[in-house]
Amino acid sequence: MTYCKRVLSILAFSLGLILLLSGASLLFLPKNNQSEFGMEEVRANGILGEREDTIDVMVVGDSEAYSSISPMQLWRETGYTAYVAATSGQTLDYSFLMVQRAFQAQKPKLVILETNAVYREIPKSKVDISMLGKYFSVFLYHDRWKDLAWTDLTEQADYTWTDDYKGYRHSVEIQPSKDTNYMHETQEIAPIPKVNLSYVEAIRDLCQENGAQLLLLRTPSTLNWSYAKYNGILDLAEELGCPQMDMNLMNDQLQIDWNRDTRDAGDHLNAYGAAKVTRYLAGYLQETGLFQDHRSDLSYSPWQEALKRYEAATGF
Amino acid sequence: MDKKLLEILEDIQPEANYLTCKDLIDGHYLDSLSILALVAELEEEYDITIPTVEIVPVNFNSAQAIWELVQRLQEEG
Amino acid sequence: MLIISSYFSLAFLVIFLPITVGLYGVLPQMGRRLVLLGASYVFFWAISGKLLVYLLLATLLIHYFGLWLAEIQRRSDALVAAGEKADRRRLRRQAQTRERAVMALAFLSLMGILVTLKYAVFFTVNVNDLLQALGSTVQLTPPAFLMPIGISFYTLQATSYLFDVYRRKIPADTNLLRLALFLSFFPQIMEGPICRYEQTAGQLWQAPRLTYHNLSFGLQRLLFGVMKKLVIADRLNLFVRTVFQGYENYDGFVIAVAVVCYTIQLYMDFSGTMDLVMGTGEIFGVTLPENFRRPFFSKSISEFWQRWHITLGTWFKDYVFYPLSMAKPMKKLTSRARKVMGNHFGPLVAGSIALFCVWLGNGLWHGAGWHYIFFGMYHFALILLENLFDPFALRAAQALGISRSALPYRWMQIARTAVLVCIGELFFRANGLWAGLAMFRKIFTDFQLTTLWDHSILSLGLDKYDVLVLGVSLILLFVLALFQEEKGFRLRQALAQRPLAVRWLCYYGLILFVVIFGAYGAGYLPVDPMYASF
Repeated sequence: MTYCKRVLSILAFSLGLILLLSGASLLFLPKNNQSEFGMEEVRANGILGEREDTIDVMVVGDSEAYSSISPMQLWRETGYTAYVAATSGQTLDYSFLMVQRAFQAQKPKLVILETNAVYREIPKSKVDISMLGKYFSVFLYHDRWKDLAWTDLTEQADYTWTDDYKGYRHSVEIQPSKDTNYMHETQEIAPIPKVNLSYVEAIRDLCQENGAQLLLLRTPSTLNWSYAKYNGILDLAEELGCPQMDMNLMNDQLQIDWNRDTRDAGDHLNAYGAAKVTRYLAGYLQETGLFQDHRSDLSYSPWQEALKRYEAATGF
Repeated sequence: MDKKLLEILEDIQPEANYLTCKDLIDGHYLDSLSILALVAELEEEYDITIPTVEIVPVNFNSAQAIWELVQRLQEEG
Repeated sequence: MLIISSYFSLAFLVIFLPITVGLYGVLPQMGRRLVLLGASYVFFWAISGKLLVYLLLATLLIHYFGLWLAEIQRRSDALVAAGEKADRRRLRRQAQTRERAVMALAFLSLMGILVTLKYAVFFTVNVNDLLQALGSTVQLTPPAFLMPIGISFYTLQATSYLFDVYRRKIPADTNLLRLALFLSFFPQIMEGPICRYEQTAGQLWQAPRLTYHNLSFGLQRLLFGVMKKLVIADRLNLFVRTVFQGYENYDGFVIAVAVVCYTIQLYMDFSGTMDLVMGTGEIFGVTLPENFRRPFFSKSISEFWQRWHITLGTWFKDYVFYPLSMAKPMKKLTSRARKVMGNHFGPLVAGSIALFCVWLGNGLWHGAGWHYIFFGMYHFALILLENLFDPFALRAAQALGISRSALPYRWMQIARTAVLVCIGELFFRANGLWAGLAMFRKIFTDFQLTTLWDHSILSLGLDKYDVLVLGVSLILLFVLALFQEEKGFRLRQALAQRPLAVRWLCYYGLILFVVIFGAYGAGYLPVDPMYASF
C-alpha cells in the first residue's frame, strides 16, 4: 500500500515538474525573433520570420556556409528560395536545433549541411543543454530573467523579422591564399567524433520524417579542409545513405581563384567566391528538378523587394 | 579524576571547562600542536608512552577520556 | 548522445544515477554490492577509459600488501608469545623491522605512481631551468602522462588503509571486492571526501535496502549542492575570471573584491560538490565523512583547517603530523626543548618541523606548482605564528579586561581569519606565484574606489541583476549557516515535518531557482568542478 503510494507520489511530482518547466518555457520563449526580444543568432533565426511553407532549401553550418552561399543570387538566377541558417562556429547540436525549428513552419525539400561543422567538437556541456532545450526551451532562454516583462506572461511567440540577405554575409575583402594545392590524395580518413555522428544521424532522421532530402556539402576552403576529411565525409554519406558534394575537388567546374576569391587567406570565401559557389549550386539544384521557379508568383514579392535592396547594397 | 591532569590541561588551554566539556577536539579547543604539548606532558608526568594509534579524537575529547587513556596505558605499561 | 564528464553533467544526473538507483532498488544484497562496484567502474571508465588500470592496480596492491602485513604480524606475534621472556623485546623489535620494511615498500609503490604521474612534468621543467641556469645545453623532455580521475584522492585512501592495518587499528581485509568498492565508490572518487576504511567499507558492503527516507533526503542534499555550484560558484566565475586573467588592468579594490569572490566561489564549488556527493552516498545508505563544517565561522587558521576540506586535514594529521612528531628522535627533541623553553614553546620545536612537512605536502598535493607550495607555506607560517603569539594575546586580553569568549571578540577573530584565508586563496588561484605577488601588492598600492562610484565594476562580468541574485542567495545561505552554527538547526529534518504541499513547493521552488538562475548555457563558460583536477 505504502509502496503504491510512494510510486504514485513520485509520478505526481514528476508530472508537476514537467508542467512547471513547460510553463516556464512558454514564459521565457522570446516573443519575436529579434535580439531586443532575447532571440539569439538573429540572422540565422530570421528563417522563423519567413512566411509559412515558402522555403525550398535550408542551409545549416558554420561561417563557411554563410560566406559561400547567397540565397538572393540563387533567387535571381533560379527563382528558388533558400535560407542560410548558419552561425559562426556552429556545432551540430545547434544545426539540429535550427532544422528542428525550421520544420515547424517550413517544408524545405532539401536541407544542406555544410560539413565543416561535422568535424567541430561539441563541448560536453552544450550537448547537455541542447538535449534539455529540445524539450524545455527554458533551458535555452533562462538568462532572459534579466529582462522579462509582464507581457511575456500573456503574449504568444510571433516571429516577424527576416533578413534581406537570408543569412548570407557579404564581404568584398581580398586576402589571397597560397596554399592552393591542399587536397593531396590520401587513404587516411579523418575520424568524426562519435557525438557528432549521432547528431548528423538525428538531422538525417528529422529530414526523413519531414520529407526533405539531406545533402552534405563542403564549400571551398584551403585552410579548413583536407583529403582525409573528405574521406571521412564520404564514409559518413554512405552510412547515412545521403548524397555528398565536395567543392574542394571540383575546381575545374567552380574555377575558384584563390588569389581573389577569399577574404582571409583561404579560410572563408568572399563575395566573388560566393558568387561562383552559388552559381554552381543553382545549376545543381535546377538539375534535380525538385523545385519550382517562384519569380512570377506574386505571393513571393517580398523576395523580389529584398533582392532589389540586396543588389543596391552589395552591387552583386 | 586526577587533579594533576586538570592542572596540565588548564596550563595548555585555559579556555575550556574541563569538568563538563565533552568536545575538546571536535569543538576546536585543542589543536594538533596543543595535543603535542599535552602528550609530552602526560608521558613525563605519568611515565607512559602514548603510541600514535591512540591519538584519536575519542581519547582526547574530554578530561575523563584522557584520564582513562592514561590509566589504561599505565596498566599495560 | 550524452557523456558523463562530471557529477553535474546531465548524463550523470538523469541517466547514470537513476539507472544505478533503480538497479540498486530491485536487487538483493549481493546484487546491490555488485551494482555499486559495477557502477563505480563504469563511471571511472566513462571519464578516464583505460586509465582504470591504475585504480585496479592500487586495489590489488593494498589487498596483497594488507594480507602480507597481517601475515607477518600473526607470525611475529606467535613467535614473541612463544619466546623466552628475556628474549621477547628483541623478537618484537625484529618483527617491527620487518613490518616496517613491508609498509615502506607498499607506501613507496602507491605514492610512486601518484608522484610520477603528477609531478614528473613539474620536476623536469624545474630541472631544465636549473640546467639552463648552470649553462648546460642538455634539456630533458617532460613526459606526457595522462592522469586518471581521483588519483590524488584514492591514493590517500589506499595508503590510509595500509597504515591502519600496519598499526593494527583494523584487520586486513581478505575480501577483494569490498576493498575495491571502498577505493572506487563513484560519488567520492573524483573529489573525495577522503574516507577511512573503518568509515565507509563496512557501510558500503552492507548495501542496505533502498528506502524512501534515504532517497528523499539524499536527493534534497544533492539538489542543494547543484544550487550552490550552478547559481553561485559558476556565476561568480564570470567576474573572477575576468579579473584574475587581466589583473594588470584593474585597481586594488577590484582585485580585493575578486579575491573575496574567488574564495566564495571555491567554497561554493567544492562544498556544493560535496553536498551532491554526500547526498548521492545517502541515497545508498552510506554516510560519508563531512568535508566542511561552516569553515568561515572559524576563529583561527588552525580551526579553519579543521572545518575546511576536513578529510584532507585529518589525513595529514594522522599519517604525517603525529607519526613525525611522535617519532622517537622528535620526542627526545620535545622533552629537551620543554626543559629549556617551557611547556608552551617546547613542543612547538618538534611540532613545527612536522607541521612544515604537513604543509609542504598539503601544498604539493593540490598540484605541481610553486604557487601551491607558497600556499602551503603561507598557512604553515600562519598556524605557527598563531601558536607563538597565543600566550601573549591571552595575557594582553586579560590585562585589558577583554573577555575572549565575548561576541564582539569572537567576530573580530572570525573576520581576521576570513581575511587571512582570502589572501591565501589569492595565491592559490593566481596564474603563478609572480602574478599572485603582483596582485597582492596592487591591493595596497593601487586601492581606489572609482570603479564603485562610476559603476564600472558592474561591467566586469556581473551586472546588477547578477549581483542581486548572488546577494540574495548568499544571504539566505548565511542565515541558514548561522542557525546551524548557533542553534544546531537541521534543515531537512525540519522540512520533513511540514505537510506535503509545503515540501513540494520547496522542491519545485529550488529546482526552478536553479533552472532559471543557474549560470549555464549561452554566455557562460562551463566550469569543471574545481577539485576534480587536483
